[in-house]
Amino acid sequence: MSKFSIQRKDIVIFTIILILSTISLVFVNNNFKFYTSTIVKINSIEEEKIDPITEPNILGIEEDYYLQKITGTIMNGKDKGKIISLENERSTSNVVDEKYKKGDYVFVSGNDITGLKRDVYIIIVIVIFIFLLFIIGKFKGLLSIVSVVFNTIIFCIGIKLYTNGLNIILLILIESIIFTIISLILTNGVNKNTLSAIISVIASMLVLSIMILLIAGITKYKNVNFNGMSFLTVPPEAIFTAELLIGGLGAIMDVCITITSSIKELIDKDNNIETRALIKSSRNIGKDIMGTMINVLFFTYLSGCLPIFVLSLRNGVSLTNYIQANFSLELTRFLVGSIGIVLAIPISSLISIKFYKRGDAR
Amino acid sequence: MINTILCIILAILMISIGGKRGIKSFISLCLNFILLIFTFYLIACGFNSVIVTLLGTIMFSYFILFYVNGRNIKTKISFVSVIIVLILLTFFISLITYISKISGFGEESLEEINMFSYNVNINMTNITVSLILISLIGAIVDASIAISSALYEVYENNPNLNRYELFISGMNIGKSILGTTTNTLLFAYLAEFMTLIVWFNGLNSSFSYIINSKVFASEFIKIILVNIGSITIIPITAILTANKLKNTKE
Repeated sequence: MSKFSIQRKDIVIFTIILILSTISLVFVNNNFKFYTSTIVKINSIEEEKIDPITEPNILGIEEDYYLQKITGTIMNGKDKGKIISLENERSTSNVVDEKYKKGDYVFVSGNDITGLKRDVYIIIVIVIFIFLLFIIGKFKGLLSIVSVVFNTIIFCIGIKLYTNGLNIILLILIESIIFTIISLILTNGVNKNTLSAIISVIASMLVLSIMILLIAGITKYKNVNFNGMSFLTVPPEAIFTAELLIGGLGAIMDVCITITSSIKELIDKDNNIETRALIKSSRNIGKDIMGTMINVLFFTYLSGCLPIFVLSLRNGVSLTNYIQANFSLELTRFLVGSIGIVLAIPISSLISIKFYKRGDAR
Repeated sequence: MINTILCIILAILMISIGGKRGIKSFISLCLNFILLIFTFYLIACGFNSVIVTLLGTIMFSYFILFYVNGRNIKTKISFVSVIIVLILLTFFISLITYISKISGFGEESLEEINMFSYNVNINMTNITVSLILISLIGAIVDASIAISSALYEVYENNPNLNRYELFISGMNIGKSILGTTTNTLLFAYLAEFMTLIVWFNGLNSSFSYIINSKVFASEFIKIILVNIGSITIIPITAILTANKLKNTKE
């Protein structure tokens, strides 16, 4: 059993993280001069209730509106240091407006507040996350961050290529292979196990893609409500198909790693284990992980519907109408991911058993 | 239409590959769906959404752990760990959501929601906290049951390990699942991010505009908070399992 002792390497890495975190926190709290838009620090706020500008909604629900009279100091640009007065209207719900408070930094254009300066909070959560990841996962934990960063960069390059006219489905299929290789090597190391898992992921992705493209081709997304993507200026169908594939990829990778490592464990423990016994064990492992992994996707995807659900129902949309019209996108993502999970179980079992058994025979 | 086809395919695959347990998993999925709609509905009725969500997520974990995995010492420990993590995270998530103002709708949704009145008289900050809590419940239950079951196996095979050694062993198991969980969640979110990145790209938005925008910040902070949740569950399950296993046998 490996010990949890603190090594010199860990102390060095910890110190580096600590220094980098401090630098980024200090930077992001003082980076006003790097912004071209005006930033204002709110010094004081007076709030008064005003008459609602809008009518009560269809269910007769009303709410209070307030006018925030804000005084603040300009933090950058040629007017730096000057005091400025601003006004902000807000409602109690804050569906599309904000309630500002003393000490907030906001972007200002003319005399209007355009938004909160959120970079500070992004850095704060990243710092907390990296510390936790390092404390629990040590160096290996940090590798998963490296993998995330790499994948995101490749992803963004892909989007750039797409806007230059490359077919998005083809692009995503090629990117999936690159994502798989990077993520699996970084989380699993360079070994036979990883190779077997990579082959399994690619095979499963192939089956899933053919299936999705077929179904998308036949149904042509008839009756699917693309409202949630209505802000796009390009047709949403192709992008949505690509999203389905990417979403499925993560789940497939997880299954393939789990199945491949378990089969390797079984072979390591008993070198003469029969293929039939291996198949039986892998089926059992598959049954074990199937339910919980599908649950992870279920909550991750469907939770995203909550805000629009609440807004719809409080505007008099009935529950059945809502489910028929609005759940579709998230539900489709979830169903495709789950199909990916279930498909990957037999495919990765078969491939890794073939892989190890052939290797032994040589 | 497409969802009906996909749902049938999923059911057939789950049953043919999972057998009896596949049927059970599929039924539990349907029940989860009903429970989720019910939780959403209560929130939409105007009950305090954080309290409804906490009760809802505790119900979900009760159901996933005890109905799907059976009532035993492992699932009981996982259940307690999940509740502790949920309560700890509720405070943390509320704080971050409140100060970073990531609730409500960003400008990209205006077209989608402009047919509605914004007079809904409901606390949108709480809605966002609920959303994050619901999206992480699956991941923390999954991690918790994986750790408590594996640690139980370790203890059965080496009953002489002391409390500290068991805890360390639990942490090592947690470490090994950490990477894959982060990975699954990452790609699930990248998929949702794609629309946004295409949008920002089309608008030629600057980097500073993107990272300060509500829609980017809210998605990003949500991802990190879900990941923080699935990390926090590791030491808590490890400590509770190590303690419980030692106490019951002494």
